[in-house]
Amino acid sequence: MAPRIPSEITKGRDTSTDPPVPTARVDEPLEGGPSLWRGTWVLGAATLLLLVISLYGAWRAPHEETQGEAARLLFVHVPSVITAYLALGVGVLGAFWYLIRRSRWADQVSAAAIEIGVLFTGLTLLTGMIWGRLVWSVWWDWNDARMLSTAVLFFLYLGYLVLRRSINDPRVRAMRCAVLGVIASVQVPIVHYSVLWFRTLHQGPTLIRPDVANATMDDAFIQPLGMSVIAFVALFVLLLTVRLHLARTEIFMSYLNHQAGPVGAAIVPPRLGNPA
Amino acid sequence: MSTGWVILGYAVSYGAIAAYVAWMAVRIRSTHRYRGGSK
Repeated sequence: MAPRIPSEITKGRDTSTDPPVPTARVDEPLEGGPSLWRGTWVLGAATLLLLVISLYGAWRAPHEETQGEAARLLFVHVPSVITAYLALGVGVLGAFWYLIRRSRWADQVSAAAIEIGVLFTGLTLLTGMIWGRLVWSVWWDWNDARMLSTAVLFFLYLGYLVLRRSINDPRVRAMRCAVLGVIASVQVPIVHYSVLWFRTLHQGPTLIRPDVANATMDDAFIQPLGMSVIAFVALFVLLLTVRLHLARTEIFMSYLNHQAGPVGAAIVPPRLGNPA
Repeated sequence: MSTGWVILGYAVSYGAIAAYVAWMAVRIRSTHRYRGGSK
């Protein structure tokens, strides 16, 4: 129920143009805000199941002949980079769509997807460093094209997130971030083809290649790897759904705060001077 | 020796994802209360 403003404050004054009085109490849920899609819970349960199955597959995978136990990092490193490609791809498509249609929804999807893409690119670098330490005995090699280009990709889109938080105006923010998102996308194919253009430390592509039928990986590894990729893709869809819900809720909150006006807006000044 | 590093890699990866999910959950929960202009 709307709180009542004392009549001695509003007496003799037209109150029809007053700002709306906040009606929700502190302990009441937000009224009228965006709601989480119900299927999110089913998606979450399915994602959890797929992740458990992929972890089991990674545990059951045979001992690799040359890399030993380090090969098990394959089942988190490769799905991370594939998910990062997917997330950044969705983000860039959203940025393109915003530039064409000025759609706020496209801007939200782009920002959410790129945020998730930065997370998985960071995980790719971390797991890659641990793998490199075990297999090549180096944490990092500045001369390796794949490592360097992935690091550049990570910092480009980290800069996107910094830019996003530095601009208050939603239209200016959306436009500038969309431009950066599109320009930075050129780094994604550079990362992928770096192992073909430069013969350095990192091995060539195993799965994402034109002649994937001749992939140089045993079935005993491809099956758990495929399971892990599917699990991570489901995880990306789940994270994107929840992140979009958060973004829409925060936009709704800022709209409510703007509508309510400054604290005390419900209190109107008394009329001064001789009443007419 | 390498098994420990592999476990660390998995722990860091899944831990980071779990932390991200937790961060989103906390932010969503904090928006569920409207305090008339202040969080």
